[in-house]
Amino acid sequence: MQIFLQTIIGGVSLGAVYALVALGFSLVYRTMGLVNFAHGNVVTVGAYLASTFYLSSKLPFALAMLVAIAVTGLIGLIIERVLRPLENRDFDLMLIGTIGFGIVLDALVIMIWGATGRAVPSPVPAAPIDLFGVRIRTYDLVVLAIAAAATILLVLFLSRTKRGAAMQAVAMDHEAATAVGIHVGRSNAIAFMIGAGLAALAGGLVGPLLYVSPALGGTLGIKGFAAAILGGFGSIPGAIVGGLAIGILDSFTAGHFQGYSELVTFLVFTVIIMVRPTGIFGERTVNRA
Amino acid sequence: MRTKLVVGAALALAAWLLPYGLDSYAIHVVNVILIFAVLAVGLGLCMGVAGQVNLAQVAFFGVGAYATAILTTHSGLGFWVSGVLALAATVLVGLVVGTPALRVQSHYLGIVTLGLALAFTNWVTNAQISGGAEGISAIPVPTLPGVDLSNEYLYYYLELIVFVLALAFGLFVVRTGLGRRLRAMRDDSLAAGALGAEVPLLRMTAFLLASVYGGVAGVLYAGLIRYVAPESFGIANMFLLLGMVIIGGRQSLIGCVVGAVSLYLVREWLSDHPTIAQLAYGAVVVLVVVFAPTGLAGLPARFRDLLRRRRGRSGTAARLAPFRPYTEPAEPSTGTGAPILAISRVTMRFRGLKALDDVSLTVGRGEIRGVVGPNGSGKTTLFNVISGLYRPTGGRVEFLGTDLTGSSPYRLARAGMSRTFQNLRLFGDLTVEENILVALDRSRTLGAWRYLLGPIAVLRQDRDLHRRARDVLDQYGLTEFAGLAPKSLPYGIQRRVEIARAVAAAPSLLLLDEPAAGLNGEEVRQLSEIVRSIRDSGITVIIIEHNMGLVMSLCERITVLASGRIIAEGEPAEVASTPAVIEAYLGDSMDSDDLPSIPEVTK
Repeated sequence: MQIFLQTIIGGVSLGAVYALVALGFSLVYRTMGLVNFAHGNVVTVGAYLASTFYLSSKLPFALAMLVAIAVTGLIGLIIERVLRPLENRDFDLMLIGTIGFGIVLDALVIMIWGATGRAVPSPVPAAPIDLFGVRIRTYDLVVLAIAAAATILLVLFLSRTKRGAAMQAVAMDHEAATAVGIHVGRSNAIAFMIGAGLAALAGGLVGPLLYVSPALGGTLGIKGFAAAILGGFGSIPGAIVGGLAIGILDSFTAGHFQGYSELVTFLVFTVIIMVRPTGIFGERTVNRA
Repeated sequence: MRTKLVVGAALALAAWLLPYGLDSYAIHVVNVILIFAVLAVGLGLCMGVAGQVNLAQVAFFGVGAYATAILTTHSGLGFWVSGVLALAATVLVGLVVGTPALRVQSHYLGIVTLGLALAFTNWVTNAQISGGAEGISAIPVPTLPGVDLSNEYLYYYLELIVFVLALAFGLFVVRTGLGRRLRAMRDDSLAAGALGAEVPLLRMTAFLLASVYGGVAGVLYAGLIRYVAPESFGIANMFLLLGMVIIGGRQSLIGCVVGAVSLYLVREWLSDHPTIAQLAYGAVVVLVVVFAPTGLAGLPARFRDLLRRRRGRSGTAARLAPFRPYTEPAEPSTGTGAPILAISRVTMRFRGLKALDDVSLTVGRGEIRGVVGPNGSGKTTLFNVISGLYRPTGGRVEFLGTDLTGSSPYRLARAGMSRTFQNLRLFGDLTVEENILVALDRSRTLGAWRYLLGPIAVLRQDRDLHRRARDVLDQYGLTEFAGLAPKSLPYGIQRRVEIARAVAAAPSLLLLDEPAAGLNGEEVRQLSEIVRSIRDSGITVIIIEHNMGLVMSLCERITVLASGRIIAEGEPAEVASTPAVIEAYLGDSMDSDDLPSIPEVTK
């Protein structure tokens, strides 16, 4: 039982990171019906930026993270702007375009930071808390708190601000949104920017948990995508539930299948897509393709 | 044709002589390029031709190579035996990877195939049998009596032959029935299904083709390098391959080859700076996607277009010829006898909304039936239920005496049902003639084995189809548009193409969904003539239309829908004076004098 609980706890913090990645995917998807294949690479960029500012510039961890978010937000804006001519025209081409951006970002990361990875020390004291025999790392709690705060902010933005409402409108019907005077391109750009910011947040948070390397984003990206699908693509509660579920699944498969954990995760994920492409909360997926 | 032959012969000669001018390193590079070219052709077939996003091509490649390696080193089988078995294994994997395509498309399919590709690399890096991260070395040299294949110069010729065969087979598929159907499915899977294309089977065929090419490339790779390791089949190479196909032009197999050759050469040239090369091709992929979606292969055509526009010759001088009525009236029409279509108590619910409510309808053989009703009354939903796009929540649809409720569209199409769509669903990247050809071709996708065993028969059948397509085009006065893209045509002509296509499928029941929408008066008159002639040739017609003049003059019986229910049915005059109809159209306070106006159309 204790091991069981410990495995779950171990999965939850990574799960929260997956949830953040999934939120980025979902936000872009629900707004413009596009899966951003460069999302994982943006996570890598975010992780490197945050760790660089934290380690080299000796900025406080939170500040380093904010700088990383700002820079990746800019990257998101650029991606959206370049691909804008294809919006609502050819989704397969847009998908390939984002893969192209992924390739570019990957190359840039290697050029700037090199092909080898780095370890990031935890910004909070490392002594774990002991709770009924289950050990919880303090940093895990930090991750959970930040992820929760980010989610709440996002939901508030979408539901309480005019800009957020406009984005919801675009998500539902981009033509009708245009007709009532919403600038669809700008709305998409903001979605992309926030999505990229969330990716950087995820990357920055995961730094002290995993080893920061150019391959980091690939794994996080695809797991985040799996989380988004599992929860129901485009759904915000779905992204969170899916992220936690994949995190926990991950931590169990890592225990039971060791090196094969990735294989098992992907197979499970494929079966889920086959059985229920709309996921758990997948009522309101937009499919304009 | 002659220039093509000359170019082909020159290329063949150049390919034959190429090794004489190369040093041993260069020939190695050429050999690797040929392998990538085979892979790219496979990916082009799956992604460009069939429209199935496939990010697992590199895994097919890996399965082929690893299976050969394992079978030769562990099981001690001969190279060629292992190669054949490896190919079989790859095809099996290809079919497994393809199954998600039956449920999901586009982005989802991309991520699933990517996930499965990652699962494959994860497996080979961990499994004992595949040698873990070190891979498998010392794969034996393939043997060929009298030829030393450890010599890379000689191996080149082996690869060249395989490559030429692979490319030729690919081109053969693309240019004949199977490829046309795959392209039709890519452009519009709904319309392809409604014309009898077995969409699920075609999607699997796409992955089957991709895996065969991947497997062949894998076996060649194992024989060439004689060493396999996980990183050769990783995600980086998948994206490189994708770059080749996109930059070259995914819809053209030649383009894929050009992309493979040029991208690999550039990468080789920048081999001291691999990240710069990666940066460059990533950027080129983005640029190509935005500015030249058809890739390098599409450039000549774009250039020609530009040139023509410069000279101020835009558009074509093609003119629509008059429709030639069908001459031989089949069986005596306007029939009674068994109804061709019998719908009983069909209900269609979308969540809370009841789009069709207990609809029963019988259409006799040889009839022209009109279905009218206000917007949102469920007319198109009714068509979608009849043609199998929707499975009704309740009720039965009987077609030609058999219960076909909820059958897939392609089964219904093969049973003799054909339809047009309200918003026109022509295959955009096919020519007008090819649109007709897709409909004419009634061969089964399962019969595609003939591509391997009886290519001559396939060619002969294709020639026959072309002849029949020319007849159809001629009959509908569309001959001059045969080679044009449907999108470039005026709306009225597109409508006519769609009707010609639907009739070319040789249906016994034709469903026309608002065929007069957007047509001018003269075009509506022609339409009414065409529909009547189609009926006289023995095809039953059901027509949804808002143009009351057309419906009143054309149809023998009219069914009126309102809010998902049938509110009236009968002869035109009778229906037009039914109070319920007037109410549905004009509101209840109106006088019965304000009928939907009767014939505006001249006969």
